[in-house]
Amino acid sequence: MSRLRRIAAVAAVEWARLLRTRIALTLLLIVPLLQIVLFGTAIRPNAAVALAIAASTASDTAAVAQKLRGQPGIAIVATGEPGSAEALVRRGGAVIGVELPEVRSFANPLAEGGPLRIVVDESNVALASAATARIEAAYWRTLATRGEVSSPGLRIERLYNPAARADWSFLPGLIGVTVMIAMIMLGALSLAREREGGTWEALLILPVARGEVLLGKLLPYVAIGSVQGLAVMAVGAWLFDLPVRGDALALAAILPLFATAHLVLGYAIAARASTQLAALQGAVAFYLPAMLLSGFLYPFATLPGWAQAIGNLFPLTHFIRAATGVMLRGEGGTDVLAQALPMAAFTVIAAAIAILSQARSLD
Amino acid sequence: MAEPLVEVRGLAKAFGGREVVCDVTIRLVAGDLLGLVGANGGGKTTTLRMLAGLVTPDTGSGTVLGAAIRAGRIDRRRIGYMSQRLALYPELTVIENLHFHGQVHGLPRTAAGDALTRFGLEAVTAQRFGTLSGGWARRVQFAASVLHAPPLLLLDEPTAGLDAVTRAALWGWIMQFAGTGSAVVVSTHDLAEAERLPQIMLYHDGRASARTTPAAMIGAAGATSLEAAVLARAQA
Repeated sequence: MSRLRRIAAVAAVEWARLLRTRIALTLLLIVPLLQIVLFGTAIRPNAAVALAIAASTASDTAAVAQKLRGQPGIAIVATGEPGSAEALVRRGGAVIGVELPEVRSFANPLAEGGPLRIVVDESNVALASAATARIEAAYWRTLATRGEVSSPGLRIERLYNPAARADWSFLPGLIGVTVMIAMIMLGALSLAREREGGTWEALLILPVARGEVLLGKLLPYVAIGSVQGLAVMAVGAWLFDLPVRGDALALAAILPLFATAHLVLGYAIAARASTQLAALQGAVAFYLPAMLLSGFLYPFATLPGWAQAIGNLFPLTHFIRAATGVMLRGEGGTDVLAQALPMAAFTVIAAAIAILSQARSLD
Repeated sequence: MAEPLVEVRGLAKAFGGREVVCDVTIRLVAGDLLGLVGANGGGKTTTLRMLAGLVTPDTGSGTVLGAAIRAGRIDRRRIGYMSQRLALYPELTVIENLHFHGQVHGLPRTAAGDALTRFGLEAVTAQRFGTLSGGWARRVQFAASVLHAPPLLLLDEPTAGLDAVTRAALWGWIMQFAGTGSAVVVSTHDLAEAERLPQIMLYHDGRASARTTPAAMIGAAGATSLEAAVLARAQA
């Protein structure tokens, strides 16, 4: 009972400090909501890419433009003389340039002709890949409609996200990223701030065990992290029609675990760091690879085996799988539990490191 | 003969290869009031931290409240400690800080209220600790450190930077607390203040003199004040 009382006392102090640091509390709740609105509306990987057409005759240009106009994902931004499309791409005015071969004519008797030349700005690989895929699709579609390729018929059935909405694809991950960053920072700062503020020395002399301090300090933040995750989820559903087809309760239930995993990790980082700045650097050093290797920024399946092995260590990877599974794929509690187990293992290991690293002395 | 609350011998501690405390021996029984006196950086704070179990001595032996000083198992429920820094939560009010200390020591909620009255803190009850003046903050910190009536009280420069009135009040409470049967160790670099203490150990470069009284030290140096005696000793 006295143990619970001590944990409650530490938690009450942490809660009061959080509530009285209004800016921090506001940022914790408002910023994630603004982020989801911003990212949900701003990130549009399916948006049309700019294309320029260059040909020696106006009729050729018009013919190609007519074929490409209305093709999905392509916007014609300029037409002109041979070489002008490539020049526009080089100037950054278009992502793709279509250079039609010059046709031998009375005015240009030395023209050689040749294949259709597509110039792509590959400085942004993601954008270039999308652009290339679209122009290739448009090319084959054009040939197919002219009967130059035999088509047995192709029907694409899009499961879970029929409109191929990009926001539906990344919003489940964004929930995880938002909670992860907030919690790891809070975990790190809750301890580092005590040390730099001088209160750590006073706390050490009190009869509160290391595990009690850890629990007491982190409990209020677990609540904050869970509310934060639910709020972002609710805004996603409200503003972007993000569905929750599976077991929403199971997903909500793993939020506290997901938050705890990162709080404990942040705490462990701070326990080994000497200053707040070092603790924050440690936090960043963790969450950047987590974002890269979890499937949030790049599809997990495209990562090499060794990177997937590392990625599987991050709780974010499992949260994204659980969130995507429940929201889009309609998965149930068993699937969520399968993702919760690695998170729990991570939490236990991080807690052990945090408690062992948290010195009971000032040596 | 009274059972010692503190009995340690030959304590030494080094940080980064620099020895900050060397061969310190202290014995305290209930009711003792001992001053650790000397310039800043002399090793007083490290000695207090070793007695509190916040710093583990590199060498030395003995017990604090019956526990081996180097085993890291000193009973912190029975120690009151006031650090040199203002180490209570600045966002919390005075009463909340005291409640917190009471709670972790398993005291009833009335303990914090009683402390407010005892140390004349009613006027700042609901004020945040971080907004208090230095004098009020020290009073609150002292109240928090003695809230649970510890048998061993360790005070690190409790009156540093305070006005004369608050200093006098704090010394009054320190003397009063020692009179209740607890052992009190207080560090100070103020030699005029140290003259109030019944017994002192003079610190210099991590080494402590044998325990003596201010009067004996003044007499031995043929001086008129502790400050003059210490200066004479330093010049000798």
